[in-house]
Amino acid sequence: MNAQTVTDCVLVLVILLNLGMLAVSRLASGVRLFAMQSLLLAFLPLSADVLEGESPGVHALVIAVGTIAIKGIVIPHILLRIIRTGEVHREVEPFIGFTASVFVGALLVIGSFGVATRLPLPTSPISTLIVPVALSTLLLGLLTLVSRLKAITQVLGFLVLENGVFILGLLLLKQTPLLVEMGILLDLFVGVFIMAIVVYQIRREFDHMDTHLLISRKES
Amino acid sequence: MTLLLLVAVPLVFGILCLSLPTSPLRMAALVGGAWAHLAVTVRSWPAAETPGPGDLFGLDPLGHLILTFISILFAATAIYFVGYHRKRLVSQRVFLACVHGLLAALSLLCISQHLGLLWIALESASLAATPLIYFRLGPRALEATWKFLLMNSVGVALALLGIFCVAIATTKHDGVIVLTITDLARYATHLDPVWLRVGFLLGLVGFGTKMGLAPLHSWKPDAYGESPPPVAALMAGGMTLGAFTGILRLFQICAAAGLSTFAGSWLIVFGLFSIATAAVFVVGNNDYRRLLAYTSVEHMGVLVVGVGLGTAGSYASMLHAMHNMLNKGALFFMAGFIWRMYETNDIRQVRGTLIRSPLAGILMLAALCATCGLPPFGMFFSELGIVLAAAQNNRWWVLALFVLTLAIVFVGVMTAMLPMVFGDPPEGITAGTLESPSHRWRRVTMLGAATALLALGLGLGAYQPTVVRDALVRAADSLYHPGFEAVAFATDTEVRP
Repeated sequence: MNAQTVTDCVLVLVILLNLGMLAVSRLASGVRLFAMQSLLLAFLPLSADVLEGESPGVHALVIAVGTIAIKGIVIPHILLRIIRTGEVHREVEPFIGFTASVFVGALLVIGSFGVATRLPLPTSPISTLIVPVALSTLLLGLLTLVSRLKAITQVLGFLVLENGVFILGLLLLKQTPLLVEMGILLDLFVGVFIMAIVVYQIRREFDHMDTHLLISRKES
Repeated sequence: MTLLLLVAVPLVFGILCLSLPTSPLRMAALVGGAWAHLAVTVRSWPAAETPGPGDLFGLDPLGHLILTFISILFAATAIYFVGYHRKRLVSQRVFLACVHGLLAALSLLCISQHLGLLWIALESASLAATPLIYFRLGPRALEATWKFLLMNSVGVALALLGIFCVAIATTKHDGVIVLTITDLARYATHLDPVWLRVGFLLGLVGFGTKMGLAPLHSWKPDAYGESPPPVAALMAGGMTLGAFTGILRLFQICAAAGLSTFAGSWLIVFGLFSIATAAVFVVGNNDYRRLLAYTSVEHMGVLVVGVGLGTAGSYASMLHAMHNMLNKGALFFMAGFIWRMYETNDIRQVRGTLIRSPLAGILMLAALCATCGLPPFGMFFSELGIVLAAAQNNRWWVLALFVLTLAIVFVGVMTAMLPMVFGDPPEGITAGTLESPSHRWRRVTMLGAATALLALGLGLGAYQPTVVRDALVRAADSLYHPGFEAVAFATDTEVRP
């Protein structure tokens, strides 16, 4: 099995994990699936180097380690901790039901494969699946974001969306300086940290995490 | 050295705010930090040299101009906040440190020439602003904070995607193109046009969310309505300009690649839609701070419409950015003053400001006239400039829609807010603590800051010194001719009529 096949397999798994996240109702399972997805993605920068017959460079190694540490371990840990300390463990009555959202998700995946054929890459990428998988991950993240009610699931949706951007970023390892990549990871981490604090406050203030009950103004 | 100072000064003063023991000392650090930043900014004029192709940081005409606007606004807000602040539940240390963090992030944004760094700075700015919105505590402030945080995070994620698409467009070229504005502009014709278009659109949506362009503005009324007015002033006049800079950077690349018509028409579409949305929601709104937030949506629309209308429109747009900063600052300062007097956000309960405090009434009236673009305030000239630019380009539909929607906003704002200034004060109301003689210093600082910004707006509307005009013209020119051509403009002192 060469690096090409491995990359393709990983990308297919990423899509399956996305659909899995849409299907589960337990919040903790969703977070674990996200952690698995991030761990899988962390190895992709390395495979890009291996594919070209080189040993993994420092750049790719730093990104892989950073991704594993922040997206694979620290962020899921924070989210799981919030879920454990709260009473609510399940997503109840989402705007779009679980089965229906998997169906919509599958349609979005098909759509993004369709769009990707109309966006030819200027150079041949490490895997032709990268653009469609990035697009579908992005769209499924957005779907989670708009169709679920719990603040914590919305954070999860945002993280999946960010993973989609990360996949597209794989095409650009050579272009972006390490400084920028680390800055992006750091911003993501601080962002999720602040979100976690706000989620915690929401729960204290309202005794639940339902954002649609945040009532008040509907005019806009 | 100047570049380092621009980011380091607010950071150092921010840490100082975290560590100082008493409230007056921390206030002094706030004012000191903002004014030191202003001093560094003023000293940096005129820019020594334009950034080279490989430079990650530099002062180009556009970034330098926006940086100066932001610095002036922070200096005024620092003074205002000294009078505004009261004991609150939220930690004052964290609050003031976040204000400085916001200033540092926005400065970094203005001086960064690399698209990735620009993104990092913008994201940092929204993270620093989040605790500021949660200032008042309680469910409503929490809702506003959550909306702001989530929408802006998604927005900037889309903007990052847009930047990545621009980066993919560079892979068509054989050599490596660094993602700096100068380098991208130099090799613009070698970029892949399809990916560049996709990148611009995603960036427009992403940065547009942060800027508050409709239809992605829905966080704005909540955030401006719930955060303390000085913070709303910083966001409406400063942070939005930062996001606007992001859009302009992408526009510069598109213009260099010969896609200015494509990019310009999308800017006009988004801009007109924003003004129209503001027109719909301004009418019949009963919360004056939310109403002011919608006027901010309107002014963001005016900014992007101007850029879409060629060089003449861009000049008007830069002028508008300046007056938007001065005016949004003054307007939210006055909203904060009125809020302190009446302790309510409801327009119907605020009556007779002119009788209770004649000076505040007059200032509020002036700020309203300035917002609605009445002469002799500067916004009249910038909006007139955009109308003329539209006429020059034979964009009659744009002109008609622009004037019509602006007129609706004008009527909406005036009918809602004029009764606040005139009329009789509600009966049985006791004078607030703000009006007691011992709080005279509060009134002086709050109204003083608003007066200074309004006077600047009035002065720059009536008479424009050559320095200011030159800076605006150069920034507007750099939008359509970015990068290395700017070197030629730096030596060229000719001023257009």
